[in-house]
Amino acid sequence: MVVIFLFQTLWHSEHATKLRIRQGKAIYATLSLDQDRILDIHGPLGDSRVVVHHGQVHFEHSPCLNQYCVHQGWLNRAGQVAICLPNQVSLELLGNKKTYDSLNY
Amino acid sequence: MRHYLAVLLILLSGCVLSSCTREPLYQSQSYVFGTLVDVSIYGEDGYRARLLANDVLEDFQGLHNRLHAWQEGSDLNKLNVAFAESDKPFPISKELAQIISNAQALSVQSNGLFNPAIGRLINLWGFQRDQFSPVKIDKAAITELVKAAPQMTDIVVEKNDTAYSKNRKVRLDLGGYAKGYALDRAASYLRSHGVKNALINIGGNIIALGTHGDHPWRVGIQDPRKPGPIATLDLGDGWAIGTSGDYQRYFELDGKRYCHIIDPRDGYPAQGTEAVTVLVPPGKNAGTLSDVASKPIFISSQEQRVKAAHSMGISNFMVIDTQGKVFVSEEMKKRLQWVEKDVTAQSLQ
Repeated sequence: MVVIFLFQTLWHSEHATKLRIRQGKAIYATLSLDQDRILDIHGPLGDSRVVVHHGQVHFEHSPCLNQYCVHQGWLNRAGQVAICLPNQVSLELLGNKKTYDSLNY
Repeated sequence: MRHYLAVLLILLSGCVLSSCTREPLYQSQSYVFGTLVDVSIYGEDGYRARLLANDVLEDFQGLHNRLHAWQEGSDLNKLNVAFAESDKPFPISKELAQIISNAQALSVQSNGLFNPAIGRLINLWGFQRDQFSPVKIDKAAITELVKAAPQMTDIVVEKNDTAYSKNRKVRLDLGGYAKGYALDRAASYLRSHGVKNALINIGGNIIALGTHGDHPWRVGIQDPRKPGPIATLDLGDGWAIGTSGDYQRYFELDGKRYCHIIDPRDGYPAQGTEAVTVLVPPGKNAGTLSDVASKPIFISSQEQRVKAAHSMGISNFMVIDTQGKVFVSEEMKKRLQWVEKDVTAQSLQ
């Protein structure tokens, strides 16, 4: 029973292990979330600043007008996504297993 | 017990059989139609998959250029200029003639709630721009446009591929149609080239072909107020899904959110809805319908939503209102898997 319980807990926590950053058509980087870092990712409007801190990631600032990406806040679970359409930068948190193939957003 | 342990160990090592070997899955992302386009092709040689995905993206870019609502020189823009100038028939492509005729039929079916003829209102609210900022609300201009009541049925498409409008205030904006139409084209192109398994996502409108290996394609439905999915569901061969939300194109003014989906009855952005998702069974225009059918449900009052869905032939749908309450149709309920455990979904029928 203990094993089953553990199994379910692990399964549902969907702990994110990696961060995938894309810019335009390209995968900019796939990184571990363990290491804190600050990245400036260059897009059509300028630099989007992405901050990884304590196993979480967010857009700290963005050259876009509406700042939807910044308002998305911190991501920390597998399957979470933040996209800056104007600057064509996306952040996706990956786990051991993909919970879905594509997001209907 | 030993059995469970073995299963657990395999799962912990992240090495379920399928993920140990490299999957024949090609995935590409790019930005077209002012949104993110995601093409996945399964079971094809990587090189061939890349070429086919590139063809699809090129087709999308071509469509975007032809059907652009406010870029000078696009086919649609030229027609809009002609509509505003006179009621003389203006030559259009066969494709555009078909699109307009089909959009007219869908508009009638929705009792005018799906209305791509209100481009002027959309422009007035500042949404015909790549990046928008809050506008000063021009009540007089809105009232005037609502009174002029531009409708799809004002447009006459003639057999020789010309069109004119009986109403000078008609201005086409296919923002709620083109992405779905593009999905249908892509699905048919890939099928005609022998692709059995693919998933195409244009900014939240998705169509599936076949499966992802030994299991169905699985899509996540965006939580309108969180950076991740609220639920997931399996998308079978030929099925399409579309979500309209108040979170991808909106602005805030005096603490109030104004989204890009305009109610043609009063000329104001629809209030009271965060998101509507519709699921469409396989059919010739499944992609188009997945784009179009969410709008009438989004705009309708809570009491009228089921009727709006049924008028569009939709039985699988989900609504999230501005209090964050989730409503699902009985048929949709069976298909959804909630990501958050604390979601309470009420039935709509």
